Amino acid sequence: MSDTHGLYARELTVRYGGLVANSAVSITVRPGEIVGLIGPNGAGKTTFVDALTGFTPMTGEITLDGRAIDALPPHERRAAGLSRTWQSGELFGNLSTTENLLVATRRAGWTALARDVFGRHRRTGREVVDAALEMVGLVDVADTLARDLSLGQQKLVGVARAAAGGCTVLLLDEPAAGLDSMESRALALRLRSIADAGPGILLIDHDMSLVLNVCDRVTVLEFGKQIFTGDPGAARSDPRVVAAYLGTPTEVGHV
Amino acid sequence: MGTVLQFVVLGLGLGAVYIGLGSGLLLVHRATGMINFAQGAIATWGAYVFAELRNTGTLVFPIGSVDLGEPPSTATSLVIALATAIALGFAVHYLAFRPVRQNSVLAQVVVSVALLITIQALVVLRFGPNKVDVESFVPGGTVTVLGASIPTRELLIALVVVVLAALVWCYLRFTRIGIATRAASENERAAVLMGFSPSWLAAIAQAGAAFVGTVAVILASSLTGLNADYFGLLVIPALAVLLVARLESIPILVVAAIGLGSFQSLIGLLVTQPWWPVWAQSGLDQVIPFAVVMVILFVTGNRLPTRGSTQQIRLPDVPIPRMRPVVAIGLLVAAGVALALTEGTIRFGLTTSLILSLLALSYVVLTGYLGQISLAQSAFAGAAGFVLSKASVDWGVPFPVSMILCALLATALGMLVALPAFRIRGAQLAIVTLAAGLGIERFIFNNYSLSPPEGNPIADASLFGLDLAVREGRDLSRLSFSLMVLVIVAIVVWIFVRVASGDMGRAFLAVRANERAAESSGINVRRTKVIGFALSAFIAGIAGCLIGFSRGQLSAESFTVMAGLQLLAVAYLGGITTIGGSLVAGLIGPLGISYVLMRGFLDLGEYYELVLGLALILTAILNPVGIAGATHHQIEFIRRKLARRRADAAPPVDVALREEPTRV
Amino acid sequence: MSDPSPVLSVDGLTAGYNGVPAIRDLSFAVRPGEVVALLGPNGAGKTTSLLAMVGLIPLLGGEVQVFGAPLGRRRPHQLARSGLLLVPDDRGLFPALSIREHMRLAATKRDPRHEQEVLEKFPALLDLGSRRSGLLSGGEQQMLAIAKALLARPKVLIVDEMSLGLAPKIVQDLLPMIGNLARADGIGVVLVEQHIELALSVADRGIVVSHGRAVLASDASALLADRDLVEEAYFGTGRFADPEPVGDPA
Repeated sequence: MSDTHGLYARELTVRYGGLVANSAVSITVRPGEIVGLIGPNGAGKTTFVDALTGFTPMTGEITLDGRAIDALPPHERRAAGLSRTWQSGELFGNLSTTENLLVATRRAGWTALARDVFGRHRRTGREVVDAALEMVGLVDVADTLARDLSLGQQKLVGVARAAAGGCTVLLLDEPAAGLDSMESRALALRLRSIADAGPGILLIDHDMSLVLNVCDRVTVLEFGKQIFTGDPGAARSDPRVVAAYLGTPTEVGHV
Repeated sequence: MGTVLQFVVLGLGLGAVYIGLGSGLLLVHRATGMINFAQGAIATWGAYVFAELRNTGTLVFPIGSVDLGEPPSTATSLVIALATAIALGFAVHYLAFRPVRQNSVLAQVVVSVALLITIQALVVLRFGPNKVDVESFVPGGTVTVLGASIPTRELLIALVVVVLAALVWCYLRFTRIGIATRAASENERAAVLMGFSPSWLAAIAQAGAAFVGTVAVILASSLTGLNADYFGLLVIPALAVLLVARLESIPILVVAAIGLGSFQSLIGLLVTQPWWPVWAQSGLDQVIPFAVVMVILFVTGNRLPTRGSTQQIRLPDVPIPRMRPVVAIGLLVAAGVALALTEGTIRFGLTTSLILSLLALSYVVLTGYLGQISLAQSAFAGAAGFVLSKASVDWGVPFPVSMILCALLATALGMLVALPAFRIRGAQLAIVTLAAGLGIERFIFNNYSLSPPEGNPIADASLFGLDLAVREGRDLSRLSFSLMVLVIVAIVVWIFVRVASGDMGRAFLAVRANERAAESSGINVRRTKVIGFALSAFIAGIAGCLIGFSRGQLSAESFTVMAGLQLLAVAYLGGITTIGGSLVAGLIGPLGISYVLMRGFLDLGEYYELVLGLALILTAILNPVGIAGATHHQIEFIRRKLARRRADAAPPVDVALREEPTRV
Repeated sequence: MSDPSPVLSVDGLTAGYNGVPAIRDLSFAVRPGEVVALLGPNGAGKTTSLLAMVGLIPLLGGEVQVFGAPLGRRRPHQLARSGLLLVPDDRGLFPALSIREHMRLAATKRDPRHEQEVLEKFPALLDLGSRRSGLLSGGEQQMLAIAKALLARPKVLIVDEMSLGLAPKIVQDLLPMIGNLARADGIGVVLVEQHIELALSVADRGIVVSHGRAVLASDASALLADRDLVEEAYFGTGRFADPEPVGDPA
């Protein structure tokens, strides 16, 4: 496997007006690897994913399997193999689970229109969808409307939709937010098996136990700056990381 | 130079209406995030009340009236009329806007369109369709400037309205409630947390808007006379002005309104010049402002303010259609038999209903599936019909090539209108498409050099020697024509079902549900929108051609903006997400079978618009899935009940299985 | 201090969206002059419970009493007027409105003396009266948010994630001030924080919420003394680790 496989982001900077939401953040996600991106609320994690996937203007370089993708619109980045989920789920509520996934695996366009009208409606692609559902264990709810699913299931459908049809790197924005600890633990196992099957995963979450248990490496953001990158165990004991999360025991006591 | 100045000043009357309506629209948008398409109609009602008081001494209510004997004084009449307007503003808020404030943008647009239809219909019913004189109590006179005599009345009227707009500005800037209104438009939840009731703020805004608009219309109609259709639809240019003012700046609104009014007046001067091309004598006053607004929107569109809502808005469900040959054949046979068994006006009504259901289907594609609001569908249809008359008569293109060609032209227009949809959405897109519709109506259908008053004849269709003409001698509605319509409708519906159940249909629904999620799933949102607009305009174009064939000529009145709004109304009423809905829409649509029956047997034709408008308001508030959807829900409900009864009989095995935790 | 009746009492509160609870069975009470800190990682259900307390989302279960009366049919703006003030995590400001306009909105009746008193607590705002709040720095915005709440003379003040996006220095100045105000004016305060140390240093009691449930509740001093316990509750490790998932073959 050559060095360029996977996602390489170098020095991504995002500015909103005067505010620097991301300041020269760099990250690498290789195939099969789970990288955690953590940090306190408002640290700029979601902004970083938005920048990677083309939903917010940024400066810096992004390559995917050696190909520069930083000038592509979001849907082309998805086609190139960079997939994401959303913090708020963002499923297509009144489509079924299967159809949510089909949206991501079929190209829409003039040819699709012509094929819809004149051609045979394709059954292919269903296998891909079934495989993705199998992977996250949601075969049972394949025909349920997305908005009727439980929150945990919705999160998993989001993951499956992002992974369906194959991708090089999967960016998961808080897949465990709102899950109870059992669901969260089950999710960790799912993620491991997804990564083992090929794609690299960038996992953003607040659930430290999830991140620390499942990730190969973690990067910690605070105020848009990268304050730590390395082994999860080291992150847990790094004073800067603990301070960023809990606050330092300061002189406040004197007040 | 003097003449130019004179025309500029003459345009101030129009400018005053735009200011009055526009500042009201701005106030309401600030307070509710909604666009009130009925702003002009509300003001027109108030102006009629004033005129009627002064002319006959009768105080007219929506139901009933009071004869005051002698006409009251100007001041008394003015106070009563404005009080009526304020009451109407409150009523509009509590009965129509407030119930839908948490609903989808579509429901909000539909409610305000329904209000427009309802109030316009009420005005005609209560005050009659004719132009009414309105007393000019503003002192008249002229001053001479640059050798031209300039009327002072227009200047005074403009001054009064500008002062009112300034008062609205002060209200928003300096009063606590006004500041709260601005605050709520930025962050409604935070305003609630500070103890303000958004509903109360909105009610005040509606009342204020009705007041300012009514003053403007009373003043302006004293110059020209009062006419319901004309003043009610002046809301469209006022909306364009509002967009130019980015929905928030009253100073820009005032300048743009005066500019537009004067410009339209100047166009009136220009077209009388000998060098001015004849074909461009009509409608330019509507087309050029529209083009300007389009350009401004395209440059600044994605910076237009939209009100964030914390609520997750649930859109009406869209069932994905399946090919059901038995149902399809059954319906076809039933329709064929109905057509064969009827004749004359009834058969013609049925045929019209079939055609209308196609127009409604074009809304199903665009609004139901893709989630875009277009009010220009009838203009697409009309444009196709217009070219059909040229193609079939002047160029001799045979049927059905002519029809497909014209539908493709409508398609091209539709794709053009898709462009603003890249930048704007929701109610603002509705405004732009409405303005486009008005531009097309005035420039093409009402333009005597393009559409001569004697009509644009359309040659009868025939295929392989089969005569498909709608009339023959005294037979006003031939069966072969009706069957041709039936076949074409069936084909188009078949195409729709294929698309809706295929990859494109799914992509439409994904874009409707969530644009950025669709984008992150690899969907090219812009292209998907263009395709949706294209398909929808194609269907509208086919319908326009069929309407043309059924009348034997292009009839401009079938394609007016009001007709288009009524179509949206019936499409929504029928159910904007399903084929069944569009069939229902066809049955209840204007000039369709229900209308024919209402007029012919119940003699209630004149109440058609009123009933339609009221039904639509109720539907948008209570039942966003429309008549067909409600029926569908009931069927589902019964089916589920039956299923449960069956399930009770059998042991619930699968339930236990499903609750087993999934293991890895 | 005697034990006055609580201004806000929450009993078995369960709330969430679309019928799915994000917080279950939360109970606590706040008395005048008392500061309660609600702690826990993001997504634990803290904000959801606040929204339910002020009536912005319906309760799925349990009861909330404000000033001794159940929420009942009172609407959020009515609760706010009666003195239940929430400073939401987005700070609840209006970016295009000036500081002065915010002040104007906050004070139900004009009382220049009170206004002056409040503003003196935030000298940074004094010179910026005509500046739009959208142009203020994060710290200034947070000060404005709190000043605005104080102007309305709250009886209960709930502050959601005050430290969000603020430099620690600013938080160190603001939080203690809220604590002092609560005691001086007899305001019941609920602080929702991720920043545990600071929050506990001003609070009387702390409640740690994790995965939608309160997992630890105690006096602030006790919590501060056993920092490890709080960390474990927070991260779900050690004494708060989940049981191994059932049926896990590994």
